[in-house]
Amino acid sequence: MKLSSLFAQGKFVVTSEVGPPKGTDVSGMLAEAEHLKGVVDAVNVTDNQSAVMRLGSLTASHLLKQKGFEPVFQLTCRDRNRLALQSDLLSAAVLGIENVLCLTGDHVHAGDHPQAKPVYDFDSVQLLRTARELCNGFDAAGNQLDGKPDFCLGAVVNPGADPLEPQLIKLEKKIKAGAQFIQTQAVFDPAVFEKFIKQASSFGVPVVAGIVLLKSAGMGRYMNENVSGVNVPDSLLREMADLPAEKRKEKSAAIAVKLIKELKQMCAGVHIMPLGWTDLVPGIVSAAV
Amino acid sequence: MIGTIAKPMEEIMPYLEGKDNLMVIGCNGCAKAIHSGGEAEVNQMVAELEKRGKKVIAAGAPERTCYIQHTRAFLEPLQQELNDCGAIVVMGCGGAVQIVRQATEEKHLLKHIVSSLNSIGHFDTVVPGTEFVEQCMECGDCMLNMTGSICPVTKCAKGLLNGPCGGSQNGKCEVNPDRDCAWVLIYNRLKALGELDKMQQYQPPKDNSKITRPRRAVYNEKTGTALA
Repeated sequence: MKLSSLFAQGKFVVTSEVGPPKGTDVSGMLAEAEHLKGVVDAVNVTDNQSAVMRLGSLTASHLLKQKGFEPVFQLTCRDRNRLALQSDLLSAAVLGIENVLCLTGDHVHAGDHPQAKPVYDFDSVQLLRTARELCNGFDAAGNQLDGKPDFCLGAVVNPGADPLEPQLIKLEKKIKAGAQFIQTQAVFDPAVFEKFIKQASSFGVPVVAGIVLLKSAGMGRYMNENVSGVNVPDSLLREMADLPAEKRKEKSAAIAVKLIKELKQMCAGVHIMPLGWTDLVPGIVSAAV
Repeated sequence: MIGTIAKPMEEIMPYLEGKDNLMVIGCNGCAKAIHSGGEAEVNQMVAELEKRGKKVIAAGAPERTCYIQHTRAFLEPLQQELNDCGAIVVMGCGGAVQIVRQATEEKHLLKHIVSSLNSIGHFDTVVPGTEFVEQCMECGDCMLNMTGSICPVTKCAKGLLNGPCGGSQNGKCEVNPDRDCAWVLIYNRLKALGELDKMQQYQPPKDNSKITRPRRAVYNEKTGTALA
């Protein structure tokens, strides 16, 4: 089912994600996904996340679809030129994948193949527009397709970016280009999200707030220093730092529940990024949603 | 200018194995400006090669080695040395290396040409003699009129055409926090110019057919232009 149908029904949409393995053993990924069965509306499948080479997001999306999940196929512009992007979109449609999240993609500099040639033949706005054109029956060169896809297209935004206005200008372009929902970078501070959503709500597209499970104070500090737009408040860092390791999981879930409850009135759904703690997601969803 | 930087001698020396009576040709154009292949660096190279047991029979730097006429003029009085040399070390950009090759071929000579520099981009001099930055990558489809004279194709690490990526933070780039985010620079300038509408416009993908390599320009006397 397309996520756009759920938003149209007024449902508070909950998504989570799995990362394909580095290698061909998919058992771990599928086992992780099992925690999400019947818990979330869709499962995002990351695309060579953080520019680290892994099993393809298209294949992993297909496997999840076969297992009865609703995958959100993440597609970045980093690794494919316009032929490959469009070809993968057609392949996704043929495999029954209905939701696609279109991203620029982290630069190869950050990943495990920093010597790779970054492609970026398209940017995310151009990718969205092309995906919409494919749904209209035409490719990026204007050629008519024999059979066309029907996707729900998503885009991402960083609500904590400073300055915010250039991001909002681009977000509006993404929506005009075809984005039907927006997923955000991790939010830890509802005030930051509120400031963003006040400006973005006029775009009239459902916004899904990104929730990353905080696993330790060290992880929070790392994100504050290295992940653009992420600001884990000191109060949360202190709460985590004061706890023994065995108590952190419980606390992490409690932080997520509180955050989702605070954000719920401001967004159309949440996207939970568990970073390995997928077993926490069912409890978080039942407590918060 | 074309930016160049010296290859390590350890990379160059194997190409000179078994070859002696060398010629060293620098470039008094770009390579001089960036201190990689002007007279001074040619003299250093000669000394280095001699220290490593090589004999250098001729050395110098044409005005601009990538202009065939300058290289021809430089080689004209060196016919004997050209005939005798075992290899020519070129301290110029990749273009200079190939122009030297062409100049030797014109003389029906088959010479080993060894490049001693790496070409690292089309550079602009922002602090004379000291600081050089890449600001144009010759995409063949210039969009500077839309972006406040700041090139996102070159100055954005991802070459994005429609605005900043999510990695932009505090005006800096996710790839290198010492580097400005090109799109924040563009945004600030367009805003100051009262032209933010230019940033709001959709920019279509680049026409990469315009940079199908190798590109070529031929001057047409009738039209008075060099057509690519």
